[in-house]
Order: sequence, then structure tokens, then C-alpha cells
Amino acid sequence: MVLYELRTGAPAILRRDAQALFQSTRTCCRRYASSTATEELEQTSSFSTPDPSEDIIKNYDPIARSRKRSVQLPPSRYQFRPPKYYRGPLHPHQPPHPSDPSSREFIPGPFTLPRLEQTYESTIAPDLMTLTYTHFPPGYRAPEKSERLRTWRGDSPYFKNRPLRGPRGGDALRLLRKPITFRNIPRITGVTIHSMVKEAKEDSAYLHVAGMVMQAISNVKVKTHVAKSSVAQWGLREGKYISATAHLKQEDAFHFLSKCVDVVLPRIKDWKGLKGSTGDSSGNLNFGLTPEAVALFPEIEINYDMYPPKMIPGCNIIIHTTARTDRDARLLIRAIGFPFYGKLVD
Amino acid sequence: MATKTPLRPSLQREYSSILIQSSHQIRRATLLRRPKRPYTFTQLITLSDGSSFLHRTTSPIPVYRSTKDIKNSPLWNPSSKKLLNVEEDEAGRLRAFRARFGRGWDAETPVEAEETSEDRKEESKTEPEDSLMDLITGYGQKPQKIKAASSSKKGTADGAGKAKGGKK
Repeated sequence: MVLYELRTGAPAILRRDAQALFQSTRTCCRRYASSTATEELEQTSSFSTPDPSEDIIKNYDPIARSRKRSVQLPPSRYQFRPPKYYRGPLHPHQPPHPSDPSSREFIPGPFTLPRLEQTYESTIAPDLMTLTYTHFPPGYRAPEKSERLRTWRGDSPYFKNRPLRGPRGGDALRLLRKPITFRNIPRITGVTIHSMVKEAKEDSAYLHVAGMVMQAISNVKVKTHVAKSSVAQWGLREGKYISATAHLKQEDAFHFLSKCVDVVLPRIKDWKGLKGSTGDSSGNLNFGLTPEAVALFPEIEINYDMYPPKMIPGCNIIIHTTARTDRDARLLIRAIGFPFYGKLVD
Repeated sequence: MATKTPLRPSLQREYSSILIQSSHQIRRATLLRRPKRPYTFTQLITLSDGSSFLHRTTSPIPVYRSTKDIKNSPLWNPSSKKLLNVEEDEAGRLRAFRARFGRGWDAETPVEAEETSEDRKEESKTEPEDSLMDLITGYGQKPQKIKAASSSKKGTADGAGKAKGGKK
């Protein structure tokens, strides 16, 4: 490399003036890391190194060595400790994936197979598939549907390459309902318990109690939320903590729903059921519980004295399902045991 | 899935470092917090009909016995006759009381088809009282009506009047 540089540099030296000569000499003095590295490289391969000598093999006795130790090694010598901090994707010491039991963020479970889940697998799912089955005779052709996002039709030259028009009657593009097969039977994906505590804007104790109550009934840690914007009529100020949410998934969600249906809801006075018009038109149903109803949960009831009775919150409960329409979701929720009242809106 | 999963820092993508338009890149360490989970116990729930099941709960009580639940709630058992809210009134005394003193919502109780003959006799004996609306509307006119009736009666039935007086 250096030689090559010299060779190419030689005619230039002849042609150019003293300043150029000085520059070329400076390039000559530059150190090339790769060239020095080649000199430092070992000629012998590690694969060709001989085996350890006889006496090393004979003296190697790890069991005896561990017996000889009077004090045990600290646990850190036995187990892998994941890093406490995540220092970015380029850091050499990466934390393990959260699904790895050694990870700091690992959440163990599930610990039980909930009764409701078993019922779903054995009874509800096949029933739902049968109920939602539509028979098409052989040779049936589905009528052509109008396009979901319409193209711009007309003589105007400006219609060319325009983005497609939105759906009629609104901006929302509804979910497509596919025929239900064994692959996409509606199932419960989770439950969200949410409570906005109005009084928390003056006294944070209300929110603390609400969090405790919701944690007790849901088995998960709650998350608190701040007000996004100020609303003068409600006396709400931006940045104040006013609401708490608990997101339940799989095991917790099933336990919570079955507890609701079996024990809590039947005890509510004059409870008619879920409103027939509930739902966000994409398969998530919602209902509310008053503070008196929340107090009926067995976890609250067992030490009712722990909670200040006026601070027990009411809450909204949102049941998330994989159903694409409210109709399917209602079918599933009804099979689980939630009654509905009023006009059913699809 | 619609539920919001708590994003764990080690799975989060790093937008912050991209967004920051500074001369040199800054990457501060993110603390990986251990997720907090409330302690849960296994609890046996015994329903009112004796069926039981296990579930996980924060409540430390091992067995929960419920008195009112899905098995004996009329909303979930609409066809159960046992749970229907029917008053036991075999002698018809409650109904007779209602017929005599019932006002408003109580007076409008529909007459049941399955009545005994005795009940009917009782019904005929007791005079049908005026409803509350009649009392209000006919407040001013009533004495006149009575007077008219008494004047018409006087001519025809004297003996009855005498008998009444004797009773008093």
C-alpha cells in the first residue's frame, strides 16, 4: 500500500512545486491501521493448538474444587442478570426479550385455565360458528359489491390520479365483516375498566381510592391519566390527574367477566342488562356500573371498611372482542351470560 | 387486539433519537422497570345451587359463598316459577284488602282468571269503591246527588228508612 502510494506519487513530485512535495511527504507519514494489523496477525491458527497437557486434565476436578469452597458463590455467579437499563439498539449489552424469563420485564402466567375460557372452547365457540353459518348452495355467486372506496368518475381532467373518495355518509370506514369460519370465531381479547373521578381534581384521595378499588376487582395494576385539555364548565384543568384505567387480558379478563356474570350483576337491584344499542360498531361492547354496584364485588365486600364509602367509584367496562360487528359481539357476550334490554341496534 | 398493551421499553422503537435534530446523537439509558402485579389468591366460589368453581382474586378469603347469584336471579331464570315474585294469597285476604283500600297503582291490579267461586261472592258483597279520579271530579256534585236520591227514595221506601233509624 505504501509502496503503491510512493510509486504513483513519484511523477507528481517531479512535476509539482515544493508545496506539493511537502504534501506528498505528509501523506507518506500517515499511519495505516490495516497495514500494521497485518504485521500483528498471528500466523498460526487456534485450531491447530495442541490439547491441554496431561497433568492439567488430571488435576481438573470441578466437584472437588466446589467442595473445597467454604462459602458458596454469590448468586450472581450462577444466574444471568439482565441489564437494568436499555441503552439503545447499538449497545453491545442488549436486554433479553420480555418473553424471556430472565428478562426484567417478564410477566409470568397464565396460572389457571379459567372456567369461562373452558366453556368458550367447549361450548360457546362451536355454537357461535353454527349460529353465524350461512349456507350457500353449490354454484352460488355472491352479488358484486360496490367498491369500498369510490373512484372519481367524470369528465374533469382533475379526477385523474386523485386519491379515492371516502365512504358515503361519513368519514368512518367500517370494518369488513367476513363470513365466520373456524378461523375467525369471535372471542374475547380483553376488558378495560375505566373510571373518571370528577372529585379528583380537588382531592387526589378520590383517585387513589378509585385505583385501589379497581385493582382489587381486576387483579391488575391501574394506570392513571391526566386531563388532555381544560374544560371550564367542568372545572377541569389541563394536566390534572382525573381518571384511572385497568387493562385486563386473557386470564384476568376471563376471571373478571365470569365473576361479574355469576356473582356481581345478579345482585344489582333492578339491573336490566346491557343496553341493546351499546357498541362501537366494530365489536366492542360497553356497560357501566354504579358505585353501589362496584361495592358488591366480593373483593370489595370482604373488607368494605377499608374503602371510604363515599369514595368508591363507578366505572365503565369495555369488553373487547374480535368480532367485526356489534351483532356478532352481542351474540358472544350473550352466550357468556350478559342479558340485553331495549332495542338491539346493529 | 383493541386493548392497549403497555409497551415495554426494550420493544419500543426509538423515535426520540431520530426526531432530535442536534449536532450529535444523544441516547440516554431507559430504566427497565419490573412489572408490578397485585398478589392473587385462588378462591373457591360456591353458588347458591351448590355448584362451585375456582378463580384467581385479590381477596384472601379461601371460600366465597354467595346467596344471590346467577342461579337464583329471575333475570337469568325467566321460566322458573319458584323465583317469580308471586304473592301467596290463597284465602284472597290480601286481594280483598286491596279491593277495599287500594288506591292508584294498587287499585288497578288485574283480576286473575283463576278465581274461586267464594272469591267472586266476596267481590260482589264488597261495594266497588270510587277510584281516586272520581272522588276528585265528583267532589262538588256529590251532596246534591245524594239529596236527589234520598228524595226519590223517601216516597217509595219508608220502612227502610225506619229500619235504618232503628239501627242507629
